Amino acid sequence: RILHCLLTSSAASFQMSILQYNGSAIVAMVGKDCVAIASDMRYGIQQQTIACDMKKVFQMGDKLFIGLSGLLTDVQTLKQKFDFKLKMYSLRENRPMRPKVFSSLVSSTLYEKRFGPYFVEPVVAGLDAKEGPFIAAMDLIGAPVFAKDFVVSGTTSDELYGVCEAFWKPNMGPDELFETISQSLLAAVDRDCLAGWGAIVHVM
Amino acid sequence: MYKIDDHVAVAVAGITADANILINYARLAAQRYRYAYQEPIPIEQLLHRICDLKQSYTQFGGLRPFGVSFLVVGWDEYFGFQLFRSEPSGNYGGWKAAAIGNNSPNADSVLKSDYKIGDTDMKKAKSLAVKVLAKMLDTASPSPDKLEFSSITLKDGKPEYKVYTKKDIEGLLKDAGVEKKESSGDI
Repeated sequence: RILHCLLTSSAASFQMSILQYNGSAIVAMVGKDCVAIASDMRYGIQQQTIACDMKKVFQMGDKLFIGLSGLLTDVQTLKQKFDFKLKMYSLRENRPMRPKVFSSLVSSTLYEKRFGPYFVEPVVAGLDAKEGPFIAAMDLIGAPVFAKDFVVSGTTSDELYGVCEAFWKPNMGPDELFETISQSLLAAVDRDCLAGWGAIVHVM
Repeated sequence: MYKIDDHVAVAVAGITADANILINYARLAAQRYRYAYQEPIPIEQLLHRICDLKQSYTQFGGLRPFGVSFLVVGWDEYFGFQLFRSEPSGNYGGWKAAAIGNNSPNADSVLKSDYKIGDTDMKKAKSLAVKVLAKMLDTASPSPDKLEFSSITLKDGKPEYKVYTKKDIEGLLKDAGVEKKESSGDI
């Protein structure tokens, strides 16, 4: 990408996929009775970095987080939509939404826009009261993957797959999980010019 | 009694089935507002929307009105703590103290005399509420099983809806001096 940028005109703007317009790195990992989700904090518009404190992971419940990569406007809109839906659920059912259920809600919300999708690829991470750690990732039209180890998303996903595969091992405690997910994220984003500039980790 | 959003709750008198529809509508209205403005809905705004719906059933469609009265309590940053009462006609008003349902006219007159504007803190309010409710129930021995009690207060600057447990209510009844009296043997 950097080489391509140098080769084109100096008013550097070239066509990228819409999912690469802002740039992000999201990763979630499972540990022993714990789960972690992390993201970078860069807010960029193509090559320009605007801010270094942009939230891409949001707390949706006591032990439920969603990380959204992709087009930032859709990230924020979806977060607000899920707040709405979650609130209605907990008022009607008088109980919090479980991670697996929330994941299904995210999936169906995305598929509703099958032929005009939201340009986001979400990662759900939560600690279910009965069933323990839960992680899932989806493509922009809601196809889910339920992994036992880790899930990744964003412009840095290729790099993240590499480091996570190398560093992850089963049954890590919260402290070790924190170290592992942090180092994986940090190493990965340094190979992606569209992500980085700060990071945040949530451990449940 | 139902929570509508974190900062608003309602108590219902009338046809429960009708109330359920309105409560669901209120919850959706509150969330739609939150989604649009990223802010909790001001209490009167919410009530106004519900009452507009109630009113439309008195003027359009040939359908019968909702047989429901609400007491709406809540807090917003613009007007602080508020209490409103609405009725099937869609008419609503803001109150310092109010009652709906069985014996509510009696309760209203008791509240009118006993509620001291400017001199009623939460403790006195809870006490008065419990006393008046006991009178409305027409029982000599109000028990915690027969009452529902909830409140909205500010916790760390944020509104919180609390449903009182049986134990809490026992305490309230005791403090108000209307606890269940053991039968002393007469009749």
